[in-house]
Amino acid sequence: MAVLSPYLYTGGVHKHGLLIELLEDLGGYLIQKVVTGTEVNLIMLIPKKDVPIVKKQSDKLLGIITEAPLTGVEIAIVSPTLASHHLPHSACDVAESLRSPGANTNMIGLARGMGRRVSLSMDYERKLINEHDIAVFTFGAFSDCIINKKPKLFEGIEIPIVVTGGPDLKTEEVPGADLYVGNIGRTSHRLRKADEVNALDKLSKEIGKIADDIRRQQSKDPLSVIPAKVMTEIENQIPEIHSALSPAPLTLQLDGIRVKLPYDEFHEKIEKLEFDEGVILSELANISRSKMKNYILIKIKSKSEVGFAI
Amino acid sequence: MDSLETFVVDSVIASEQEFYRKIIEDNLASLKLAPAVGRIKVVLRPGDSLFQMVIILRDVGSKIKTVDIADVESKSFAKKIIISIKTEQYIPELLEKLWEFYGKANISQPDRLTVVISTDRSEEEAAFIREMMVADPRHRIHENLVDFAIRVTPEGFRVRYHLYKGNRFIFVASEEALKNEWIVEAEEMLEELTGAGEK
Repeated sequence: MAVLSPYLYTGGVHKHGLLIELLEDLGGYLIQKVVTGTEVNLIMLIPKKDVPIVKKQSDKLLGIITEAPLTGVEIAIVSPTLASHHLPHSACDVAESLRSPGANTNMIGLARGMGRRVSLSMDYERKLINEHDIAVFTFGAFSDCIINKKPKLFEGIEIPIVVTGGPDLKTEEVPGADLYVGNIGRTSHRLRKADEVNALDKLSKEIGKIADDIRRQQSKDPLSVIPAKVMTEIENQIPEIHSALSPAPLTLQLDGIRVKLPYDEFHEKIEKLEFDEGVILSELANISRSKMKNYILIKIKSKSEVGFAI
Repeated sequence: MDSLETFVVDSVIASEQEFYRKIIEDNLASLKLAPAVGRIKVVLRPGDSLFQMVIILRDVGSKIKTVDIADVESKSFAKKIIISIKTEQYIPELLEKLWEFYGKANISQPDRLTVVISTDRSEEEAAFIREMMVADPRHRIHENLVDFAIRVTPEGFRVRYHLYKGNRFIFVASEEALKNEWIVEAEEMLEELTGAGEK
């Protein structure tokens, strides 16, 4: 199977169709296309050996092509609550800084996550967070809270946990966290000072490393079908997805895909999705009702579980 | 008293002090409270889940009448009153009062600083408008001060005590039941802060 590398193209709308056609001819995948006025952003997976060809075409169109290491990663930004204490800064700034390298982010405000002794998370919230690839918890200014009190919110979270906060702590000091990034605590202003922007850059870089780790683990026992291929088939076989109004109606994850269509109406169609190789999706993946609204969640089984890969 | 002549944030860990100072500064700025606050002291004790804040306000001035912020002219022939505004700050409050009395249909605003009212009794009405109270800065500051206190307190600290008397404001918040000594401590802080300017 060809190795695919994630890239982001930014350029004018004029003739960008040529790039999409080239990508399809090369066997790459278009993950997301965002048109804003006369500009277009394309997030793509390009076969590694063909990257120079796509670069050449993008140069011809006077566009810019950059690596987007977080493409195909869905990240949960978890804030203790949705009160003005945490939003819009710094939680939104964190989410924004993760979207530019290609990630899809969802903001989750816990119902009762605030405070020290009283903070807690609900079963429903934990399940919702576990549907993502990586969880980022945005905490406040006090090291005592971050070290001693807040880690109880991590109970039941099975995905990698990234913590942001004000004080400069080491990752080992925060029990249960896979990564701690300081200097992004509770603020009431936009994060645009040099040290704050540096902290955000560090955060997205380190999360990129975590995503790479997950991919490396995955390559030992690869998925039976890559999520991008499922995405293309859904686009071809279920036309309703084109009229879904949710942002990113098909959201890629490292080991699955979130389909933003109502479960009851569409889950059978998704289960019976056919591939050229003659198999249907329900043989390759678990399809369930997502905790997010009434969406469909596809988690793809590994090659060892299915016995073959396409 | 000058604005913000004392601004103290006290915490066990020095770096957290700086962080919290920034939060308080930002919120003072966004609620436009900075000119009104004379001295402020905040003590943070995350170990005890305790937040204490005392504020001494500057003299914020008296109630504001239309005549303080605008020229009111009556044109009895044209059956109109023309208000030329000098201080832009209070336009929203003034318009709201005028709409209430004369109705939106009778009021036009040809440009930002001019308001024209159509009325049959222009002389009497003009006299009334001149003496009409437009805004009470004290009331506005009280509202903003409570909002400010809630915004800067750590969110989980939902047990609160506050006292607003004259130009003094005490605010104590915690996650646990409040201890009386914490309030006494805050009162002592206020005494200290009051004394700070008299030396």
